[in-house]
Amino acid sequence: MDGLAGSGLVVRYQKHQTPVIDGQSVTIPSGKISVFVGPNGSGKSTLLKALARQLSPEDGSVILDGRDIATLPAREVARRLGILFQENVAPNDLTVEELAYHGRYPHRRIFESVTEEDRNAVAEALRMAGADKLRNRPVSQLSAGQKQLAWIAMLLAQAPHYLFLDEPTTFLDLAHQFDVMELVSRLNRKLGKTILLVVHDLNLAARYADHVFALREGRIVASGTPSEVFTADTLRDVFEVEAQILRDETSGTLCCIPTGRCGMNQETV
Amino acid sequence: MTMMKEGKDADRPPARRRVAALLWLAAVAMAIVAAAGLLQLGAGSYGMTWRQALAALTDGLVWGDRATLAHFFLGRDLAHGLGFGDPGTLPTETLIVWTVRLPRVLVGIMVGINLALSGSIFQAITRNEMASPYLLGVSSGAGLSILVVLVLFPALGPFLPLIAMLGGTAAFVVVYAIAWHHGASPVRLVLAGVIVGAITGSLQAALFFFAKDIAIVQNALAWTTGSLTGVGWEQVRMVAPWTLVCVVLALSGARYLDVLLLGDSTAKSLGMKVEHARFLLAATAILAAASSVAVAGLVGFVGLIVPHIVRNTVGSLHRHLLVGSLFAGPALLVSADTTARLVLSPVQIPVGIVTGVIGGGFFLYLMRRRRDFGKL
Repeated sequence: MDGLAGSGLVVRYQKHQTPVIDGQSVTIPSGKISVFVGPNGSGKSTLLKALARQLSPEDGSVILDGRDIATLPAREVARRLGILFQENVAPNDLTVEELAYHGRYPHRRIFESVTEEDRNAVAEALRMAGADKLRNRPVSQLSAGQKQLAWIAMLLAQAPHYLFLDEPTTFLDLAHQFDVMELVSRLNRKLGKTILLVVHDLNLAARYADHVFALREGRIVASGTPSEVFTADTLRDVFEVEAQILRDETSGTLCCIPTGRCGMNQETV
Repeated sequence: MTMMKEGKDADRPPARRRVAALLWLAAVAMAIVAAAGLLQLGAGSYGMTWRQALAALTDGLVWGDRATLAHFFLGRDLAHGLGFGDPGTLPTETLIVWTVRLPRVLVGIMVGINLALSGSIFQAITRNEMASPYLLGVSSGAGLSILVVLVLFPALGPFLPLIAMLGGTAAFVVVYAIAWHHGASPVRLVLAGVIVGAITGSLQAALFFFAKDIAIVQNALAWTTGSLTGVGWEQVRMVAPWTLVCVVLALSGARYLDVLLLGDSTAKSLGMKVEHARFLLAATAILAAASSVAVAGLVGFVGLIVPHIVRNTVGSLHRHLLVGSLFAGPALLVSADTTARLVLSPVQIPVGIVTGVIGGGFFLYLMRRRRDFGKL
């Protein structure tokens, strides 16, 4: 019973407020790259955090590999599912390698020292993330893109099957956006990881996603392959924009070109 | 402090450099403790040279006789209870060093350890480099509860460390509750701590009016400024077990402190029970602060300065930082106490005044030098 699925999830940040996630069910396709898209405040990150047990839903449940995630020990969850947050903090002098070692936390017992397995996992994680040359550099002195690779290295040292990344490309320049997304794609193809991303850039989503969930106001309003979800109608419903959908001849991926906001009366401006 | 050349060392593993820095720090700190301690043992109304003091400290009449050792370390009752005979007679120098001056140095060492550990832990769990037991109100809360006992319920004396811990915990909870506003920012925490400290300070002063005689007031007053005057083996025995407990707990919490510095969300995603861990670590830090308040009163700023100096020297990994604090804490406290006792001789000032002056100045210097001061 491998797999990750949420059913009937209701998440509310404060009592008596309208729920951020309103009774949603979602199954994350195993061994694929899935992407949550949606406008600001649509509940993408919230749903991702609820699926990762970072938030406890008021109602509904999340089943991770056949067991209710709420009843699993925290370390057990962390060995199966890792999450990279949008913003991260680390002490000024913490090096990339030391950060990666923190990823071994769920694998180590309280008084256990570093094992050969830990060392190998960290070396492999640094190599896969392309951060092995940075290993002795303090994370705080890296560029935004290098920082992201360092944090992904920590996630890989954690060695989970499920990798959740909350807007991993938002603060990066174009080149580094591709670095991160290519890495994510390799992790999926070569290691078979199940990956869930929150992404703002629809073109990145279209290029890399196997499956897209479009959210609006706490509900999943569309779900399917990029070509099923990225249609002019859906984009109008979800993002309130008029858009042209083109297909890139060389790569075959879709490309969304927003042409204007819908529902806006020009004369009131 | 070591200055590192950036760039050149960038590709070398920093771990080795940090361990080397830690060894240096420990060596220098031990030298300071030894020098200040020997000065402390020798100087006073019965003057000795440092050679005489050293001879008295290493006197074979003490070390060679189990009964004498037991009487010092365990106390008369326990030593008798365990079947040790009467202690032998000792020369005057040895007697003065062993009964009066040595326990003061030992208490200084342990108070230094406890305050430094407490500060290091508080700084990590609040992710705030301005945190310390003193500035978070923990010391004053512990102090108030102790004064209540001293003035109103003197019979509870033997339970002072535990009572101090209750008071310290109450103060910490109040400070955290006041400061909490979608998370606790460094500045809000310190402000709340200062306010709670001011309130408990007033209550402490109010208690003086209920004191039965002037001696209690004088005693209590010296104690609120933080003083090692008059501490003896009884205080050594009171603080030693808690010191051991705190050192073990703190060192076993090193990895948790490191992960907490990555923020609550990341710590949680790595499978840590964040609230659980923070609670146990806070309890350790409060216990450490409370046990030192119970024997030495309110000695301020040690818990702030020591972690700071050690972090600048050995880095922020807690397995290094905490070990460094174990050495640097006693170095600061013992040398400050030696200063407090000897500089204005024959007048002895409380050690808390020395640490307050040095520490307050250091705090101001930090605030001026660093723009982003506060966040860890």
